[in-house]
Amino acid sequence: MPSGSKVLKLAAVALLAVAVLAFPSIAPNPYILSAGVLVVYYAVLATSWNFVGGFTGYISLGHGALAGLGAYSTGILVAKAGLPPFLALAAAGAFVGLLAVPIGLAALRVRGASFVIVSISLVLILLLVFQSWSSVTGGSRGLVVPRPFQLTRPEHHRIFYFLFAGLLALAVLAWWLIDRSRFGLGLKSIREDEDKAEALGTATYAYKLIVFVVSAVFTALAGGLYALWFGDLDPVFQFSILTGSYLVLMALLGGVRQLFGPVVGALIVGIALEFFKVEYGDTPLHLVATGLLLALVVLFMPDGVLPAIADLIKRFGRSDRTSIREVSAAELREQRLQNAGGTK
Amino acid sequence: MTLETTGLSKAFGGVTALDGASVSFHQGEVNALIGPNGSGKTTYFNCVTGMIKPDGGTVSYQGRDLTGKAPHRIARAGIGRTFQLCRTFPRMTALENVLSAVPPTGLIGGLRSARGRAEIERAMGWLTRLGIEHLAGSEARDLSWGQQKLLELAGVLMAEPETVLLDEPAGGVNPALLDRIGVLIRELNAEGRTFVIVEHNMDLVMSISDHIVVFDRGRPIAEGPPSQIRTDERVLGAYLGV
Repeated sequence: MPSGSKVLKLAAVALLAVAVLAFPSIAPNPYILSAGVLVVYYAVLATSWNFVGGFTGYISLGHGALAGLGAYSTGILVAKAGLPPFLALAAAGAFVGLLAVPIGLAALRVRGASFVIVSISLVLILLLVFQSWSSVTGGSRGLVVPRPFQLTRPEHHRIFYFLFAGLLALAVLAWWLIDRSRFGLGLKSIREDEDKAEALGTATYAYKLIVFVVSAVFTALAGGLYALWFGDLDPVFQFSILTGSYLVLMALLGGVRQLFGPVVGALIVGIALEFFKVEYGDTPLHLVATGLLLALVVLFMPDGVLPAIADLIKRFGRSDRTSIREVSAAELREQRLQNAGGTK
Repeated sequence: MTLETTGLSKAFGGVTALDGASVSFHQGEVNALIGPNGSGKTTYFNCVTGMIKPDGGTVSYQGRDLTGKAPHRIARAGIGRTFQLCRTFPRMTALENVLSAVPPTGLIGGLRSARGRAEIERAMGWLTRLGIEHLAGSEARDLSWGQQKLLELAGVLMAEPETVLLDEPAGGVNPALLDRIGVLIRELNAEGRTFVIVEHNMDLVMSISDHIVVFDRGRPIAEGPPSQIRTDERVLGAYLGV
C-alpha cells in the first residue's frame, strides 16, 4: 500500500506535468512562450548537470561547453553537411558522448576545487577553438542553422517547447532510474567519501566516467535542440562560463539530492533571469542578482529549496515522529522509573 | 598461501615510513601488527590495500600479485579494511552504508534496484549481529563514535572478505564495547576469517591474537605468539627505550 507521502509526491509530479503541458496554451503571447522554451531548456541542462553534480558531488562549471559542443555539432551537420535536422541532433549527441570519454578521463583524475578549475578551462579552450576555426564554425560571425520546420514563429516556439519537455522527461526518468539503482548508490558513496568507496570495492573512476558520459549526452542533446530552435550560434554565448554557473545555481537552489530539484531551480532562476533582462536591459545587474542569490542559497539553504520546504511541512505536520535521541531519552526515563519501582 | 609482503618500502619526502618490510601473515588466524607510533603500521596497511603505491617491494595474496593494484581490485580479491579514523558515509543511512559495500558489476547488475530484498536481508543481518539494527534508518552522521565504528565494520563484513584488516578497532571505544569487539573478532575468526589488526591496546592484542608482528622504524623486528612477544627484549626496547 502506498504511504501518504508517496501519494503526495505522485500528486505533485502529476501537477507539475500538467502545468508544464498546459503552459503553451495559456501563454498570453509568443514572447512569454519563448521565455518558457528557454526555462525548459535550462531545466534539461540543470537536470543533465545533476547526473554528475548531484550523484558524485563533482561541481562542473564546464557543462556550458558540452551544450555548446552539442549545439555546434548539430548546427554544422545541418548547415554544412546537409543532414536532416533530427538525424544531426542524434549524431551530435553520440559524438559528444564519445568526446566525453577522453575529456572525462582527464578531468575526473582530480577532485574538489581542481576539478572545478579543469572544467572552467574546458570552456575557455573551446571558446578559443570555435572563435578561431572560422572555416568550419563561422568564427565570431556565428553560425546560422536552418530551421527544421516551415512554421510561424509562435508555432515554432510551441513545437520546440514540447520537444524540450520530452527531453526533460527522458532526463528526469534516467536520473530517477540511476538514483534508485545499485550503480546510483555507488555514485553517492563517491560523493560521501571517494577513498572509502574505493576501499569497499567500488571502481570509482569507471563509475564517475560512465555518469559523466550520460550527463554529457543529455547536455549535448539539449544544446543541439537549442541550435535548431534558436537558429543562430555565437561562440561567446555557447562557450560561456556563465551558462555553467547558472546550472550550478539552479541545481543547488532546487536541491541536488532531489529528482526535481534542478527543474524547480531552473524555474526560479530562469524566470528571474528573463525578468532582470526585461526590466534592466543590458546592464550587468542580472549578474549581481544571480551572484547574490547563489550566496544566499549556499549560506541559508545548502540543501536547496525542496528539502527546506519538506522540512517545513514536517514541522507543521509533526505527530508521533521524533528523532532517535528523543526516543532513547524517553526509554531511559521509563527504565529509570521501572528500576526505581523495583527497588522500592 | 596468504597475505605476504616482501621488501615493501615507502618514503614520504625524506621520511622513510616503510623500510623493506617483509611480512607473512598466518591464514585463518588473528594476526596483530603492533609497534610504536610512526613505526609504519598504517602506511603498511595503505600499501597493502592499494591506497598508496609503495616505492618498492611486492604484495601478494593467495599467490596473486597485488602490488600497485587499484584499491577496489584488492577489495574484490577478498581483503576488507577499516580506517584508523573510522570512515562511514555520513549522509547515508546505516542500511545504505552497508548496502554500498557490494558494488555491482556489469550494466544489468548496476541498474538493479539498490534495495533488493536479498541484499537488505543480508545487510540487516550484519547490523543485527553488530547490535545496531535499530539504527538502520538513521544517517551515519547522527550515530555515536562507537556506533560508527560498528557500522564501518558491518559494511566491510557485508562484502564477505576472507581477510579483514582493522586499523585500531579499539581507538576511542568504551570498555564495554571494547570487550564486545574482542569477542566479535574471535567469533568471526572462528567462522574462517583471517584478521590483521593494528592496535595500541595491549590487553586486547594479547588476549585475542594468535600471532603478533612487531614493527619498528618501518620494518618487522620480531614476530611470534603473544607469550613470546611479551618477553622479547627487542620489543621492550622499541616500546620502552631500554
